[in-house]
Parts: sequence; C-alpha cells; structure tokens
Amino acid sequence: MPLTPVLLVEDDPTDFRLIQRAFNKLSNGFQMFRLTNGDEAVEYLAGDGPYENRGAYPMPAILLLDLKLPRRSGFEVLEWLRRQVSGLNRLPVIILTSSRHSTDINRAYDLGANSYLVKPDTGAQLEELAAQFRTYWLRMNEFPSLRPEIAR
Amino acid sequence: MQTEILRTILLVEDESTDATLLLRGFEKAQVMNPVVHLTSGDEALGYLAGVREYGDRRKYPLPALILLDLKLPGMTGIQLLQWMRVQGEIRRIPVVVLTSDSNPDTIDAAYDLGANSYLVKPGNTADIARMVQAIQRYWVKLNEPPQLVMRAGQE
Repeated sequence: MPLTPVLLVEDDPTDFRLIQRAFNKLSNGFQMFRLTNGDEAVEYLAGDGPYENRGAYPMPAILLLDLKLPRRSGFEVLEWLRRQVSGLNRLPVIILTSSRHSTDINRAYDLGANSYLVKPDTGAQLEELAAQFRTYWLRMNEFPSLRPEIAR
Repeated sequence: MQTEILRTILLVEDESTDATLLLRGFEKAQVMNPVVHLTSGDEALGYLAGVREYGDRRKYPLPALILLDLKLPGMTGIQLLQWMRVQGEIRRIPVVVLTSDSNPDTIDAAYDLGANSYLVKPGNTADIARMVQAIQRYWVKLNEPPQLVMRAGQE
C-alpha cells in the first residue's frame, strides 16, 4: 500500500520534534512532509518551483496547519486554499496550534478548517492525539479527489 | 462557563436500523453526551434554525457536532449542507457525513459544500461500534468545537 502523504506546517523546531516523535511511534502507513512557513505551504500545494516534482513532493491527503507562522499565517494559507476552484479547495485541513482563543477557533472554522486541535502539554497526550488522528483521518475518513491544477 | 456542559450531538438519520446501530454504538462507547436523533433534513433545519419549540435552546441546544446521512426524505443531506453554509454561526458547526454512498462524485460534492469529514457506514455491527468510538474519541474528546452563542429566547 502506498503511504498517505501528510503535510505538516510548523515553524517551531521544538514543537516539530515533539510532533514528529509522537507520530513516529505509530506504525507506518503515512509519510510526513514538513514545511516551516505559510509561503512555503502555498508553494508546495500550488506545485511551484521545486514542488513541481510530485514524485519527491506528493500532494498531501491532509494538511496539519499551525496558525502562527512566519510570512503567511495559517489563516492566510487556509483562505488561499479554499479560494482554489480546481479541487485543491477540498483538501482537509486540521489546525494544530497552541491557541485556545475562541476568536481563533471561530475564525478557523469560518475560513473552512475541517477540525481544530490544540497542542497538548505532555508527550503522552500528544501521542494519544497522533493515534486518534491516525485512526480517524487515515483509516476511516474518505478523502476527496484533488486535482492540482491551480486557477490564479 | 458552559465548557463543562456535555455538548449535544445531532444525528440526522432516517433509516431506523442504522439509527439503532449508531445509537447503540454511542451507548457501548459510553458517550455521555446527549444525542438528538432526527429523521429528516427538514426537521434538522428546523432544529438548527430554532423554529417553534426548537427556539428553546436550553432544551434544544445547538449541537457541537452533526452526523449527517445524505439520503433523507424531503430535503437531502447535501441540501442541508448548502443551507448551513449561508447561515451565521450555524455554518461553523462541524458536519461529519455518515452515509452508505461511497461514490467519489458525492464525496467531492460534500467537501465542496464544506463537510468537515466523510465516513461510509460499515456493513456490520462491530465495525459500526468501532466507527462510533473513533467519532467519540476524535470529535467529542479531541476536537475543539466552535464557540456558539446560545440564542433565540433561551434566557
């Protein structure tokens, strides 16, 4: 079975290490790609520059998106994504952030986030989150088709 | 604060066999949240819009999660999604489509209309129980729901 590509956009190196460690404890079935800012996320999804090579940079089945990102924020990435008209707009986006503010939560849903997760405080909780994420999204959920041509 | 109040789950499902299996699955998974079960798209719209007795949000709170079948008598699940998208805060409520239809065009249409997730009903009881448990663990325990202002005559 081909591995499901998961794209993680997370700028904080400590958070990234913790998330990566929690996900690596799970048995395989997915492959995680990591980017560190919002502009890169848009370039990756649009297939610009090096990301044109979909062999090396496959279209993700799902996006794990932090909100506070350098250059373009997670909100802006989400807004851009939902504006696409060719199928890319359907990409499921899970917000993974430390913010619990209701204004951030509501704004994310208003912009079309599929789900909103708050980064837990402990490694054990993060492992639990990774396990539930994997069971639900990678084993049960049906993904939409994404056609990567972008209307600009 | 109302965060400690168990959030309501709205199940929109017209087939009584499926509904029974799902509700039993919730019991088995020890979901303590109140599950409101409605059997048509029109009734679900009435509930969400707060029509008539549903205007009493203490008795009929807005759900934190909607499990939506697509094939429904009257208004379909797709039409309900379409309606939800042009509402105020109701459009934020996470909708998990839960249907027997696995046609890729239907899946795409549901996501285009803002479905948060799409699940295909499994064929047997054990798998349904597993699915309900995963729904509970993910959507009820892990996911942060939108903050909805209770309104429509609840005070």
